[in-house]
Formats: sequence, structure tokens, C-alpha cells
Amino acid sequence: MRETRGRITVEIQGDALVIKGAIDETARLSELLDYAGGPLLALDLGGVTFINSLGVRDWIRMQSAAQARGIGLELRRVAEPLVHQLNMIVATRGTARVTSFYAPYACDACGREESRLIDAVAYARWLGNLQAPAMSCAECGRGMEFNDFPERYFSFLSV
Amino acid sequence: MGAASILIVHPDRKIQRTVHRILGGTGHGVDVADDVGQAVRLLSNLAPILVVVDGSAMASPSIEPFLAAAKVRGAEACIMLVGATQLEQAPRILSLGAVTNLLVHPMPVLGEELTITAQKLIRDDLFGAEKYLLWGTELHAATLTRASQRVQLVGELAEQLRGHGQSARVASIAMLVADELISNAVHNAPVDDRGTHYRADLARDAELALDGRHAVVVRWGCDGRYVAIEVGDAFGSLSRDRVLCSLAQSDVKDQGGGAGMGIALTYRSCDHLVFNLAPGKRTEVIALIDVRYPPTERVAASSFNVFVERER
Repeated sequence: MRETRGRITVEIQGDALVIKGAIDETARLSELLDYAGGPLLALDLGGVTFINSLGVRDWIRMQSAAQARGIGLELRRVAEPLVHQLNMIVATRGTARVTSFYAPYACDACGREESRLIDAVAYARWLGNLQAPAMSCAECGRGMEFNDFPERYFSFLSV
Repeated sequence: MGAASILIVHPDRKIQRTVHRILGGTGHGVDVADDVGQAVRLLSNLAPILVVVDGSAMASPSIEPFLAAAKVRGAEACIMLVGATQLEQAPRILSLGAVTNLLVHPMPVLGEELTITAQKLIRDDLFGAEKYLLWGTELHAATLTRASQRVQLVGELAEQLRGHGQSARVASIAMLVADELISNAVHNAPVDDRGTHYRADLARDAELALDGRHAVVVRWGCDGRYVAIEVGDAFGSLSRDRVLCSLAQSDVKDQGGGAGMGIALTYRSCDHLVFNLAPGKRTEVIALIDVRYPPTERVAASSFNVFVERER
């Protein structure tokens, strides 16, 4: 199954609904809740490239609808543009559980910048202390630095 | 009343001197006060065109009367400097409505921001992203003549930035900023003679002709320090008060709601947001995204400026 809705594509892969593309005024996200076969719907968000203010409103409506219907949301591989919104707007978090997300890293040695996946469950204690997990540069093998403010970037995990 | 001058209110001697040196280059006399009380006393003999106030002054009960008195004495703008330890004061500063320029970055960025801000105000030469970029930086320009071109243009901007070596993080912030500013210019800027924003309630995905005055001009460029995105319209309907109100919106943080959410999101996404307003003539918004690494001068807050062109 693969569906195109406005500027996003939606596809079931394993136990998750994979969303890719740009979330804007055309996404109609609440309708995605119909894909939930039970009390939990897992969303794989690693392919989300963009979300604007109208997409944010749609996202908040989806969160509210999920709560009203008793559907728990698990957010996997949350892409940076979405993390950005989760941090800026409390309502976007709803009651969803984030299990992994992307974060910006940069290598001081070679200057490479990269979005790296962080397992929010395995690193829960680190993240709770606003510490970014250590990462190695794929290009030069040296240690990479977290490239944002931990108190800002990880704040979405504190609710 | 004395000659036009600049009044600095700051408790730290070292920063007083730094700011004095920066603003001394404007050619105007610079007066310095250690606190708001002293500034109020100085004000009776001064006619400052600018007041530059440290964020710590927000703790003074005299700050609001001082800003009001400075305005009466002819001050065109209040520039507030906010250090890293005062960032939590930003919402209160915004809620005052009297601070049109908030600068949050340490030196050397402070020097750049302060010089440009002061010179724009003094010269009343407001428009153009060039003022924020190094000399010689090329600005790409596009004019939108149909609303549907927004999506394509935003995508092209992101692709171009990625092609020029910018990270996915920078490209995604640039996309958000450009999308929100263009959307505002297309839908919220147009007003009729009665002041009705006749396109504000139209669906954002509906096709619209952007003919004549409705055309939206977008320019962008990068000088290795900042990605600058400039969006302009020919209505000039965005007011200073509306901007300050949108920047101060707290329900965006809590509920993601309210009018002006696009401006609030843009402000929270970039490092410096500039509004150049010529009422009834044109509006230009410039968003600057700091792309330097390591980000030694980046802080977890953003500067803003609201400039209003004087009536000629």
C-alpha cells in the first residue's frame, strides 16, 4: 500500500506507517488514524523534509483526534524539521511517545555536518541530563559534536 | 535640548566602552548611564535619537516611564541588548511593545548587528538584505506571479542551498522561513482601501494570480556567515504593532494557535529577523540564519529589528 496525500507519501512498512515528504495544508493527517489496527499507531517520520505552520496545525489536530479516539502514537525516527516544531510548540507533542529521532552533529576535524539517529529509549538517561550521545564522523572517524543547544533541542523529551 | 545623540544604559563598564566604540562610528555624540535612574536624569538635558539599553534594566520599575520619556524627547527607537543570562526576559521585553530592536548575540556579532541597526535608523535607509551580508555576496531573486509558485520556489531554494554545501538542517530552516514569509506576503499583505485583508481567509493551496501590486519578490543569498532570505510585497500593510504582537505571542508556544503564527514561527526558527516597513508602500522581511561552525556566537534566542520608514 502506498498513498500520496498532497505533498506526502504514506506507506505501511512492517508495523509502522511511513510518512515522507512535506507536511503542509494538504496533508489531512487526522485521516491517517484510520490505519491504526489497535490502540497504538507507530509513525516512521524519518522522511519528513518540511512542515510549515499549516502543517503544524494539522499535526496538532491529529494529536487531539488520536487522544479522543484512544489511539496512542509512537513516533519513530523523527526528522529534524519535526523535532524543531516539537520543541517550539508544546501542543505538537500531545501524548505521543518518541522512541527515536534525528539530531544535528558536526565534525570539528573535517567540518562534515550530518543528521544522526538517536535511540531515545536507550539513551534516555543521557538525554534527560541534556547530554548528546557520542557519535563518530563517517568521513574521518573522529568524534562529532552535537550541533545545537541541548537545552533547546532535547526539550521536547521533557514532557 | 542638546544636539541629537545616542544614549547607552548599561551597568557593565567594559560593555559600555565596547558599545560606545561601536556607536561612536556613527558620528553622533554618545552619552552613557549606568542605570535607568541615571538615564532618566540625563534625559532631561538630552535629545537622543536612539537609546541602547541593557536587558538588566527590565528589573527597574522605571523602565517603562524611561522608554516613554525617551520617545517624547525624540528617540526613534530603543535597542535592547540581552545577554545569555537574560534570555528568559525576552517575552517580557516583547510584551512592553516599546522595544523595536532586540539584539541577543555577543561580540563580534553584536558589533555587526548594532552598527547596521544604528546606521539604518540614523540614515533612514532601511531596505535590502545586502546590508547584512558581506560585500560582493550574490543575491538570487525571483518574482512570484502565481501563488502556486511558492512550493516550487521553496523547493528550489532548499536544493540550491544544499548544492552550495549547506547542511540539511540549514536547508530545512530556510524552507520553513521562506514558506511562511511568502505565504504572509501572498495572503496577508493585500489590503483594499478600507484596510480589509481580502486574501487572508483564502485557502493556502488555492491558485491566485499575483499580478501588479500582488507580486511577491523573494531574494536569497549566503556569505558564509548567514543565509539571508528576503521577502517583499508592495502593500506595506504590516504594522509595527502587529509585528511586535506576533513576536510576543505565547499561545504559539503552548497551543500553536493564533493569528500571526507564521511570523512567530519564523522568528523562533532563524537567528535574526528584520522587518522593514514603509506604511502603505512596501513591506520587506529579512530572515538571517547563522551557518557558521563552530557556532560560538549562536545563542538559544533570536535578534529582531522593526524599522519603520519616516514619512517623506
